Amino acid sequence: MSGSKFLKGAILPVSLIVLWEVSMRVSGIQSDSLASPSQIAVAFWHALQDGTILRRTAETLRTSLGGLAIGGGLGLVVSIILGLIPAAARLAQFSIEILRPIPAVALIPVAIMTLGFGYSMGIALVAFATFWPVLIYGVSAITNIEPQLLDVGRVLRLSNLERITKIILPATLPRYFVAFRLAAAVALIVCVTVEIAANPLGIGFELMSASQSLHPDLMFAMLLWVGLVGWALNLSLLFVQRRLFSAAPATMVTAQ
Amino acid sequence: MTTLNRTLWFGGSVGVAALLIAGWQLIASYSGIPPVFLPGPDRAWNALVTGFFDGELGALTWATVQRMLYGWLLASLAGIVVGALIGSSLRAREYIQPTLELVRPVPVSAFMPVVMAFLGLSGFMVTVVISIGAIWPVLLATIYGVSNVEPRLVEVSRSLRFGGFQRLWKFSLPNAQVDILAGMRLGLTVSLILAVIGEMLTSEYGLGFSILQAARSYQSDQLFAGVIVLGVIGLISNLALQAFEWRMLRWTRR
Amino acid sequence: MTLQSIARTAPEQTPGSHASLIEFKHIQHAFGDRLILKDVSLTIHKSEFVCLIGPSGCGKTTLLRMIGGLLTPQSGEVTYAGHRVTEPESDVAFMFQDYSKALLPWRTASGNVSLALEAGRMPKAQRPARIRELLAKVGLGGHAEHYPAQLSGGMQQRLQIARCLAQDPAVLLMDEPFGALDAMTRQGLQDELLRLIQTAHTTALFVTHDLEEAIYLGDRVVALYPNPGRVAQVFKVDLPRPRNQLTTREHPEFLRLRREIFDFIREAEA
Repeated sequence: MSGSKFLKGAILPVSLIVLWEVSMRVSGIQSDSLASPSQIAVAFWHALQDGTILRRTAETLRTSLGGLAIGGGLGLVVSIILGLIPAAARLAQFSIEILRPIPAVALIPVAIMTLGFGYSMGIALVAFATFWPVLIYGVSAITNIEPQLLDVGRVLRLSNLERITKIILPATLPRYFVAFRLAAAVALIVCVTVEIAANPLGIGFELMSASQSLHPDLMFAMLLWVGLVGWALNLSLLFVQRRLFSAAPATMVTAQ
Repeated sequence: MTTLNRTLWFGGSVGVAALLIAGWQLIASYSGIPPVFLPGPDRAWNALVTGFFDGELGALTWATVQRMLYGWLLASLAGIVVGALIGSSLRAREYIQPTLELVRPVPVSAFMPVVMAFLGLSGFMVTVVISIGAIWPVLLATIYGVSNVEPRLVEVSRSLRFGGFQRLWKFSLPNAQVDILAGMRLGLTVSLILAVIGEMLTSEYGLGFSILQAARSYQSDQLFAGVIVLGVIGLISNLALQAFEWRMLRWTRR
Repeated sequence: MTLQSIARTAPEQTPGSHASLIEFKHIQHAFGDRLILKDVSLTIHKSEFVCLIGPSGCGKTTLLRMIGGLLTPQSGEVTYAGHRVTEPESDVAFMFQDYSKALLPWRTASGNVSLALEAGRMPKAQRPARIRELLAKVGLGGHAEHYPAQLSGGMQQRLQIARCLAQDPAVLLMDEPFGALDAMTRQGLQDELLRLIQTAHTTALFVTHDLEEAIYLGDRVVALYPNPGRVAQVFKVDLPRPRNQLTTREHPEFLRLRREIFDFIREAEA
């Protein structure tokens, strides 16, 4: 059953690729912007062999995961505070609402000016971008904890720290994981975007320079690769989520 | 919570924001950081005001906003139409959706260098990329909304003998309203981001370009002013769309 | 819209009664490998109110959906006004049990009623008056601009009735329409339904679990056995109309029928 589904779904992309390959060969076009699938495959293979792909991917992953750790970590901490102290959440509301809409890309020049080019700039921007989803979803997760669980904590006279580590975090872990999964996707996107726009590191930069140096085969290969990395990241996180939280419901409470 | 309470808390939160700005001012004025790197809110405000009244900030803002809206509207319309067509046909979905799922994980900004290779550094190129970026969430949302009509409603449409187009117009598309609006909101955010990047890369006239320039020439107050304007654009466009959504989705509320 | 009924004598038709309108002929149907209906034959006459009762799995909803044109029997045929039913008929209205899912949530009450008028291709200018009339008929006159989410369960079901009536139906098919409502609302709607149908002489096919409701509403009660569904027995309801919640339910004939059918079902389940 799913075999025929797979076939049906594969027809379109496969035939497009074949068409693309054939038309380029037949017309014999040499283009600065278009490359045939076979050329792309060759470029990909070369980039893999000479370590470019590995190197660039490592750079991107370092930046995005580093930024995620910082931004997500801060988001986690602040979300716990705001989630547990409603007054603080209400007071912080306005500031959050005016800072959140600032697109991370708008801060690229600020980062360039203060941190120059390189890892710190990328990490800082990714941190900014990933802070918000973790914060918002985190606050939502905490304010939606089953109230009886909190009562248990009070009845057992747990200290604040114990309350957080023994009840609140375990109870909200599934939702936080989903928030981090989302933030991870954001991290990759922002990281690649910053690399394309300015930062001379990572897959995005490789993609951009391939385009500018008129190497369409490498360019498309990088495009393909960035999609694969995104897909693989998402899939592996989903896999981890299912393994860890298959028992508990991992339903996402949509913020606002 | 009573309205008075709500207003008080709102006032309080505005107060907190004001405190943060005051803190910013203190750090800018009294820490050792030169104003080149960290202009205080006073300088940023100055740059903002002079930029709008004496300078080009208004025109730059309009250029960016125009670019963003144009690409977004075009993309949303196209996304709804194509999404409706694909969503209403099981066959189309079977053959096309897997391909869409393949393309989905690619960060939209990655298309910019690719499109640039074809269309060069031009405003048109930026608009094309914005459209590609903005059509995506709307397209996917429309397909989903159109193909997920409550089965009972489908039977109602059959019972009343509505044909294909009527069913799409009276049942499937209205059903997709919620998803389409959510997709459009996402698309708007993407449009702004791509507009800014596009301007940075192509040096096309707009805020993206101007803040990059400001950074390069170390005019930090103008830089901050530009960033603030971009934040405001993001905020207002989101609020406006939310208000529109709120009105359109009256029927969801008790 | 008047219906040309074709006179056709059926075995259970007594002389002088109305002509048959709907016929089930040896209906057999299975879902997967589960036989739902086995050799069901039934005749419904014009202006008759027929109730189908039976436990779950007796296929009563399936039968309804067959006349509604939503399902084609695997064997046997369903005829309406002499012709085979292959798709929904324009003068047959279907009322669903889950009313909240059968109403367009994004349209107001007027909008929902209008839907049926749009289906019937009524000119736009004529619609508002008819909508007002129908909403008033079901007692929703003041709620024309409200959305289904703002209406109670009973009101939503009444809205569905209004939409069905907007089709000017010759036949009203109802699938446990009052099942999800509280007793008081249910009784109120039962009487409203009878009132609305009476004037138009609409033929009605009513599926229910509730034995007393079936007797209260119907001219005939068809009891079905389950697994697979087949006609067990048809009971004639000889109670005076108009029916009354108090007096009819205390009428000796009502009680007799109730006992008879109840015993019958209990024996059948044994």
